Amino acid sequence: MFDKVLLKNAEIPNAHGIGAYEAAGGYRALATVLHEYSPDELIQLVKDSNLRGRGGAGFPTGVKWGFVPKDPALEKYLCCNADESEPGTFKDRVIMEKDPHQMIEGMVIGAYAIGAQKAYIYIRGEYVLSIERTEAALKEAYRKGYLGERILGTDFNLEMFVHCGAGAYICGEETALLESVEGRRAQPKLKPPFPVVEGLYGCPTVINNVETLACLPHIVQRGAEWFRGIGPERSPGPKLYCLSGHVRKPGLYELPMGISLRELVEDHGGGPRSGGRIKAVIPGGVSAPMIPESGLDVAMDFDSLAAIDTMLGSAGVIVLDETACVVRVAKRITEFFNHESCGKCTPCREGLDWAVKILRRLEDGRGKHEDLDQLERLCGSIFGNSFCALGDGAAWALSAALKHFRDEFVRHIEDGRCPFH
Amino acid sequence: MAILTIDGNELEVADGTLILVAAQDQGISIPTFCYQERLTPLASCRMCLIEIEGQKKLQPACATPVADGMTVRTDTSLVAQTRESMLEMLLANHPLDCPICDKAGECELQDQVFAYGAGESRFRDEKRVFRTEDVLLNPVIVFNANRCIQCQRCVRICDEVVGAVALGTIEKGMDTEVTGFENSLAGCDHCGNCIEVCPVGALMSAPYRYKARPWDLTETDTVCHYCGTGCQLTVGMRDGHLARVRSKYETGVNGETLCVKGRFGFDIIDSKHRIRQPMVRRNGNLVAVSWEDAVGYLVERVRGAVEEGGARIGGLASPRLSNETLYLFQKLMRSVFRTNSIDSSSRWASSGPAAPGLYEALPAMFDGLYARRPLQDVLEADCILVVGSNVTDDNPVTDYLVRGAVRKRRNKLFIVSARPSRLDAEGAGFLRLLPGGEAGLFAALLDGLVEDAATEKSLPTACPDGDAQETDRTETAVPATPAWQEFLAGAIPALAAARTVTVLIGTDLLRAQEAAAALRWLRKLGRVLETLGKRVGVQFLFDRPNQMGAWELGGLPNMLPGWRPVDDGQSRAVFEQAWGTSLPSEPGADFGRMLAQCEAGEMEVLYVLGSDPILSYPDGALVESALSKVGLLVVQDAYLSETAGLADVVLPAANFVEEPGTFTNNEGKVQRGREIRPPAFEAMRNVEIFGSIASALGRDLGPTAAEQVFAEITRLVPSYRGLGFEAFDGAGAFTVPTENAAQDDPDDPPVPTPRESRGFALVTGDCMFHSGYLSRHSAILETLSAEPYVEMSPRDGRQLGLSEQASVIVRSRHGEARARLRFNKRFPDGVVFVPENFADLRLNRLLKQGEYPCQVEILKA
Ligand SMILES: Cc1cc2nc3c(=O)[nH]c(=O)nc-3n(C[C@H](O)[C@H](O)[C@H](O)COP(=O)(O)O)c2cc1C
Ligand code: SF4
Ligand code: SF4
Ligand code: SF4
Ligand code: SF4
Ligand code: FES
Repeated sequence: MFDKVLLKNAEIPNAHGIGAYEAAGGYRALATVLHEYSPDELIQLVKDSNLRGRGGAGFPTGVKWGFVPKDPALEKYLCCNADESEPGTFKDRVIMEKDPHQMIEGMVIGAYAIGAQKAYIYIRGEYVLSIERTEAALKEAYRKGYLGERILGTDFNLEMFVHCGAGAYICGEETALLESVEGRRAQPKLKPPFPVVEGLYGCPTVINNVETLACLPHIVQRGAEWFRGIGPERSPGPKLYCLSGHVRKPGLYELPMGISLRELVEDHGGGPRSGGRIKAVIPGGVSAPMIPESGLDVAMDFDSLAAIDTMLGSAGVIVLDETACVVRVAKRITEFFNHESCGKCTPCREGLDWAVKILRRLEDGRGKHEDLDQLERLCGSIFGNSFCALGDGAAWALSAALKHFRDEFVRHIEDGRCPFH
Repeated sequence: MAILTIDGNELEVADGTLILVAAQDQGISIPTFCYQERLTPLASCRMCLIEIEGQKKLQPACATPVADGMTVRTDTSLVAQTRESMLEMLLANHPLDCPICDKAGECELQDQVFAYGAGESRFRDEKRVFRTEDVLLNPVIVFNANRCIQCQRCVRICDEVVGAVALGTIEKGMDTEVTGFENSLAGCDHCGNCIEVCPVGALMSAPYRYKARPWDLTETDTVCHYCGTGCQLTVGMRDGHLARVRSKYETGVNGETLCVKGRFGFDIIDSKHRIRQPMVRRNGNLVAVSWEDAVGYLVERVRGAVEEGGARIGGLASPRLSNETLYLFQKLMRSVFRTNSIDSSSRWASSGPAAPGLYEALPAMFDGLYARRPLQDVLEADCILVVGSNVTDDNPVTDYLVRGAVRKRRNKLFIVSARPSRLDAEGAGFLRLLPGGEAGLFAALLDGLVEDAATEKSLPTACPDGDAQETDRTETAVPATPAWQEFLAGAIPALAAARTVTVLIGTDLLRAQEAAAALRWLRKLGRVLETLGKRVGVQFLFDRPNQMGAWELGGLPNMLPGWRPVDDGQSRAVFEQAWGTSLPSEPGADFGRMLAQCEAGEMEVLYVLGSDPILSYPDGALVESALSKVGLLVVQDAYLSETAGLADVVLPAANFVEEPGTFTNNEGKVQRGREIRPPAFEAMRNVEIFGSIASALGRDLGPTAAEQVFAEITRLVPSYRGLGFEAFDGAGAFTVPTENAAQDDPDDPPVPTPRESRGFALVTGDCMFHSGYLSRHSAILETLSAEPYVEMSPRDGRQLGLSEQASVIVRSRHGEARARLRFNKRFPDGVVFVPENFADLRLNRLLKQGEYPCQVEILKA
């Protein structure tokens, strides 16, 4: 049995207050860091741990921090990405609702490493309870001297603010997030310059996911080697998996990185609903291409999933059983991305709208065979050509549905109706 | 430098060059939509995607800089296929209503589909339609959202270049729509630059709507007639009438931009207010006569005054006229009428008895200190000082260029002006200073620099004045307000640290009677900066298109063309020889003195050329009374003016599209204004009128064709030497500094003591929508800005118990005017601005020579 790390406190009722957090050893890592580590040593520790970002792309966190210019004259910012809007994803929310101090302690540690004196937590606007709990926790942390001036008696100062989103999925994309914090229309910006060099208000800025930051106190307390020892060495650590869809026991599971997808779904999730058979699984939120049942023996880590043309993403694992109509699922997912497209670039804005129009016809049984070629062509035009990963992800996910389940699309055309409904 | 290959050609380009630009230089064109040279890259349309060896994805050429060793391919089938699919996607929801689209024929989307698109569309679903009726966003902009391709060029130009930030995007994804607040642009600049940059027929010009197909137009490149920025523009005519004005991509000082006056004010060429035929006053009424009769009558009345020596003849020319017209006018006045009483501006009272010395101080401004270089270059200076101008209103395109330069280079900009402008926000500091205070400012800057240099021990001994007594002087002369101190605390170190300094001088400064002192101090400041090893450039920000040419070509009572003093025998000899006649040796009267002469009943002939002093001379009472006492008032103009109403002889002249000629802009660049059609009605070209008057007097003025007059100028005026009339196609040609540089002031000029002020200080100038009194003949500009207004701070307004839009009376000791109140929360207390552009207001009746800024009270009407 895997001993829970990130969800350790979450199991205890009403553990979101600072008392419970401290009682369980909270903020000790911070004290250790402030008294025993230089920022560079801390960055090295995180590099050694092989911690990779939990926001989706899996970028090595220590490496990202190392890119921040050392110039002390430059103001620096840390932003915690708590916009969690990827359908099928609800891990950051649990951390914020049940154990917000874990995230805050991680942020203070991160801010110390990069020399930031101001930090923002960008929380998805619909996460009302997360916002409440985080704000309350910030107050407590200020009161206890874990935030503010001269933290724990050292020279380190840090202010932390909550910024609430207003409902757009694109705000989770890091450059759009920064635009939104600055009060502008949330649209991704050209990279380079990367935010670590020129981010919020033109200053070096690190953006990390809630779960990424929540790992930090544990790495400090238990060491890089311990962390690296959990799961695959190049993609290690405890991991939160959001299991949903047609499974018996949906929910949030903390398990090691690299666990087999089949084990996750069948053992931990209790397998398909009674009498059902699994058709496909989306492993990392709806941007991640679906895997047909035959492919479930894959390790849930960044590299293994990339090797089979999908991704760990936000670890939103969505299970589809035989009753699911893949055309309808593909349509629904594409509708989501089309609705959330920021509208900046041609392929995503125009291409997804076109794809949705075709998918709606197909689902209704009004499609033609050439529509499938056109969908494939559209996916090809969007993928790799859109400005940010939203368009790419949408096209990637859609083309996997077409590739693995083309026969279902064809049946819709030939039957002139949806065979499932 | 980076060496790379593009489509197999190896090339070497500067680091940081965009692949797009490097390719273009090789003659390889890459299609673009969202890219525009002067805008920040967006890389959103994805039309320019190209292959870079070693990169997984295609990259946008418009935003990717070259790298050493890079291998780029723009000619692969993948690139071609990608272009085709971007276009296919853009066309999917495009209405394709080309037959009724104003843009058809010059639409970038059409052109790119033609060049790179597929032959057929596979889209067979319903198109997105925002709305079926186009929206009139303001009187000059119509919007069709269905055609928009979301390149955001309009939004970026409005924000980054114009600075108006009037456009934005609402909604997201496919519903994204460009618009103004509340779906209106009623409050914007109406400059139309968003229309210009729109690649498709989404943002369209309302006045041009459905007027013509682009291929029906006869287009001519010419120069703008409204201000000294001297923008290049292209006039499109259809059947002899104006259809539209546009500007060309990266052409001229203005690039692709224009301001509202230039873009929409050209309908003046078809204005009904033309003088149609020659007229002569008979029995108190102006009656139409033939040209022969008019010239005959004029000559008969002039002859006596000429014979008695010309002292009772004066001439006033408008600085809107061409170099050739202005040169020939002063030649006519000097060589035929035998007078040096010539002036080329009636709009400021800084000449005349109440304000001596301006014209004496001028020559020293136009030697090496004057930056006869492209404004773009001049704006690369480390430190830019703008003094005495609301650039946003006076020279809008210059405002765009300053904004662009400062945002790009982050150089230090300091603004000194009476009223706030949009540029204040871009600057490192600004100071609200009433006209007349500039000399004190320059003196204080100079003192600060000298002090700074003394502590740094870097001031060479050659510095004209390095001793401590300077400091005492400024302390007494300078108001020690916190704003003033703060400004100096920012500007002095910035000037001291700069390697290059640019000073832009507006016409507010020239309106005040202290102008001469200000210019002399500026000259001194320039010299000290040069001694400190800095490269210094000064340019004027003239509100008229050819003030520079007017002055350089002898439109002054004390100066022959080329800044040659009238009272210098050698200088006169040059022209006496060239013109084959002797010339009067006494400096003449400036316009202020001419009026005094009229008032005294001693002016026999006053020749007013294209100017309307009744409205513009800042002493309404004097000008009205003086002009009624002139023996013979001659008015030669294209448009009906108030002054023409008093004239004894009225001569109809060609307007600026009816005669060729050159104009010297603020950069000192000579550009060609082109003849687009023959003179309307019975009008004659200005130069030909002068020729016929001279010959009626039995004199030969020499050749009058524009090319020949310009050739004469290049022979006789050193700054223009070697310029060829034909060389002006497109770019124009720069004049060079005058050789006969004026002497430096041996003594410190005086620092005028600030005048006591009671009540409000009234300042005037151009508003954004007008240029002097001329633009009132533009029907479009009149609809955009028909009402005069009084601008003041809301705090002052509240203290007077007045609310915005209240009708108020502005009363001076000399007169009053009535207009509506407009609040501007950035306005300084104690100052009001009334634009000078509204003829009915007769604002000059409030003014008096020597009393600018004018003290007024503001009363509830
Ligand atoms: C369209 C889009 C949406 C995203 N949404 C989120 C999100 O909701 N939360 C998140 O942490 N990262 C999100 N990301 C990833 C972020 O851009 C960024 O990579 C991440 O926050 C970095 O944190 P990490 O290094 O800790 O993973 C999104 C990316 C894209 C392209
Ligand atoms: S891919 Fe979509 S979300 Fe991303 S920039 Fe383009 S339009 Fe916006
Ligand atoms: S007309 Fe000028 S100010 Fe108005 S929206 Fe267009 S660019 Fe902006
Ligand atoms: S209105 Fe024209 S310029 Fe503006 S975004 Fe649309 S297509 Fe581009
Ligand atoms: S800035 Fe001056 S020259 Fe340029 S368009 Fe406007 S009025 Fe004409
Ligand atoms: S021109 Fe390069 S992306 Fe638009």
